[in-house]
Amino acid sequence: MSALVDAFGQHFFRLALVEAVLVGVVAGVVGVHVLLRRLPFFVVAMSHATFPGVVVGSLLGVSLFAGGAAVGVAVALVIVALGALRQVDDSSAVGIVLAGSFAVGVVVLSAQPGASKDLSAFLVGSIVTVSPADLVTTAVVGAALVAVVAAFHKELVLGAFDPGGLGALGYPVRRLDTLVLVVVTVALVVCVPAVGTLLAVALLTVPALAARRWTDRVGPMTVLAGVFGAASGVAGLCLSAVFDIAAGGSIALTATALFLVSAAATGGGRRGGRA
Amino acid sequence: MTTSADASGARPALRLAGLGVAYGRRAVLEGVTGEVAPGGSLALIGPNGAGKSTLIKAVLGLVEPAAGTVEVLGTTPARARGRVAYVPQAESLDSEFPVTVAQVVLMGRYRRIGWIRRPGRADRAAAALALERVGLGGRAGDRFGILSGGQRQRVLLARALAQEPELLLLDEPFNGVDTTTTEVLLDVLAEQRKAGVAVVMATHDLSIAHLACDTGCLLNHHQVAFAPIAEALTPELLGETYGRSAVVLAGDCTFVTPH
Amino acid sequence: MSRALAEVLLLGVVGAVVGVHVALRRLAFVTEAVQHTVFPGIAVAYAAGWPLLPGAAAAAALTVALLVGLTSGRRRVDVDSALALSIASFFAVGVVVVSRRSGYASDLGTLLFGRILDVGRAEVVETAVIGGLCLLVLGLAHKELVLLALDRTQAAALGLPVVALDALLYAVTAATVVVAVRAIGTVLVVAFIVTPAATGRLLTRSIGGAMAAAAGVAAVLGWIGLSASYEASVHHDVRLAAGATVVVAYTAGFALAGAGRLVLGRLRTGRRPA
Repeated sequence: MSALVDAFGQHFFRLALVEAVLVGVVAGVVGVHVLLRRLPFFVVAMSHATFPGVVVGSLLGVSLFAGGAAVGVAVALVIVALGALRQVDDSSAVGIVLAGSFAVGVVVLSAQPGASKDLSAFLVGSIVTVSPADLVTTAVVGAALVAVVAAFHKELVLGAFDPGGLGALGYPVRRLDTLVLVVVTVALVVCVPAVGTLLAVALLTVPALAARRWTDRVGPMTVLAGVFGAASGVAGLCLSAVFDIAAGGSIALTATALFLVSAAATGGGRRGGRA
Repeated sequence: MTTSADASGARPALRLAGLGVAYGRRAVLEGVTGEVAPGGSLALIGPNGAGKSTLIKAVLGLVEPAAGTVEVLGTTPARARGRVAYVPQAESLDSEFPVTVAQVVLMGRYRRIGWIRRPGRADRAAAALALERVGLGGRAGDRFGILSGGQRQRVLLARALAQEPELLLLDEPFNGVDTTTTEVLLDVLAEQRKAGVAVVMATHDLSIAHLACDTGCLLNHHQVAFAPIAEALTPELLGETYGRSAVVLAGDCTFVTPH
Repeated sequence: MSRALAEVLLLGVVGAVVGVHVALRRLAFVTEAVQHTVFPGIAVAYAAGWPLLPGAAAAAALTVALLVGLTSGRRRVDVDSALALSIASFFAVGVVVVSRRSGYASDLGTLLFGRILDVGRAEVVETAVIGGLCLLVLGLAHKELVLLALDRTQAAALGLPVVALDALLYAVTAATVVVAVRAIGTVLVVAFIVTPAATGRLLTRSIGGAMAAAAGVAAVLGWIGLSASYEASVHHDVRLAAGATVVVAYTAGFALAGAGRLVLGRLRTGRRPA
């Protein structure tokens, strides 16, 4: 326990805590839409796709966001375009693009000297090295994501529930779908400093899944998902200090534990009836 | 060209002229021609995959015609969209989705509410009224998915009513629903027609088509007939549409044409 | 180098054939799941100094059991969510296990991306044997698996053991992932199963043709990728990760085939395909 008290005394740890809360909230909120639109696999894939962008961005000294988001968005568009090929189904298209872009990232990175250390930072995060400037970026981008999701809330929910109905009402369905994919991709990049690209899927899917066990209404679900996300971040970070394990991994595991507790506490069966 | 309901010269709610739709090189619909007047009601009849849903999509402007024209409420489908309401089959929607009955009905008002704004009191009132109209006022707070199939179909009709449309498009609304729902649907549709709303419904149920519609459009990738309902539902035309003689349609035919 | 080539060719061919079945059933996400859940098994084995294959196999077996249990008649989003959950948590376990050792960063890199150029003779033999078994099983059950993919209800009506066949396919996929993981690493394995198979399907229409085309593509591109990384590392002093270079080659092949298809499609209809 003394390890934890010591940790709180450290400046870097306090910064990491703030990052964990910010990332957790944003990931939880965006995660609700991942759930509504059945995008968990897409997130897994995109977590690989943003990797080369993050790598290139970091190597060029450019913001990770710019690199990761740019490549991630480009990949998302490629996947959408691949939908035009009838011979390739969606999950295959995603698998191909993700592995391909991830491979590009590895190849680029492996050509640099001293690759291993950077690699693990990209892949599983290094939350304990976030700077105040990083925090500001996370806060600003995160706030923008939450604002977009809130502004288009009703259209996005309708689009997830009844895309045909959304189109019949005259909304631009494809553009809204693309907007969601872009938001999810950017949220993923937001998670990278905290948990890395490969574990970001944990924050983007699990807190929302846990929230779903407790309520049938999208509004409360969103709030709860944000809370669960932040809680996972903070608790995971503390556990990593106590047990001297990788922070990214322990954050992901804490989120999972929260989900399992939620599933057990709400009886394991599907919720019905009362909203 | 056959026109349904009143022929008083008022602008038709829907006018189709030689409409054809293709997916890639494959023509899925050809030569559809006819009109529906305000307050009129058209039954789209044909086997599965015959192009009924495609025709509905063309009226909604969701697919481009490869040939011919579609005129909705005097203008293009895209411009008419706010005034056209679509009722899909309830079973096509995810029953686990976390949305309440009231929220579903409110969705019909979204275009009026506009981007970014939240539903206001007037919208909630319109939604509540529509829900009452289909007999489900007490279920507003329930999750959509726990209602029965017929009840969900009624909720979707309420959603369309909340939109206050001039043209109603329904895709197989009577499929597998209970008698209460059938009665409510027929009642509401009749009431809407009296108020001048035109109705177009795809249906398998020939007796309901006969009961609720004044015109029939028989489709089997091409238009077999577009005529007043009694003239359309003859064994010969039905046989041509369904590819078998009408006698074998015993399961579907629940009426007898006087000969 | 020749051992590495043999390994790449073997993995490419087996992956291609398995991949066509995976594509028919749209099971790419299964491959994703297996490749990630295998990671803790490998991590634990690595940390304990055990041979990697049994550790990976144990984790894979667990995943297969999970999958069979989950997918029988469940909704797709539940399965996807459960898989995402498993992927994240299993991977996290692996990360945590590895992080307790020193030399954490390079260990992680090795486990994630494999070391194909260091592959030993024993490994190649293991790959050949297991890969051969997978191909044999798929060959014997070929028409049943195809029917199951194309028309599940018909297959059940004809009395085919649907669940057992599902389990078989998952098991074969998992086995392929397990043998490939040591050489290619857990992150890139999915490419071996999904990419050449998708390329094959773009090139031909029949299932058998797709398998042959996929295997051919995998062999040729595998050789190109491996040679390129070897060339660069040895003669130009640029270290390119071998496994990843092969995957880049596979993806380039797919992109070419895809672009070709789209162009052909537009030329034929004269307008955008609907």
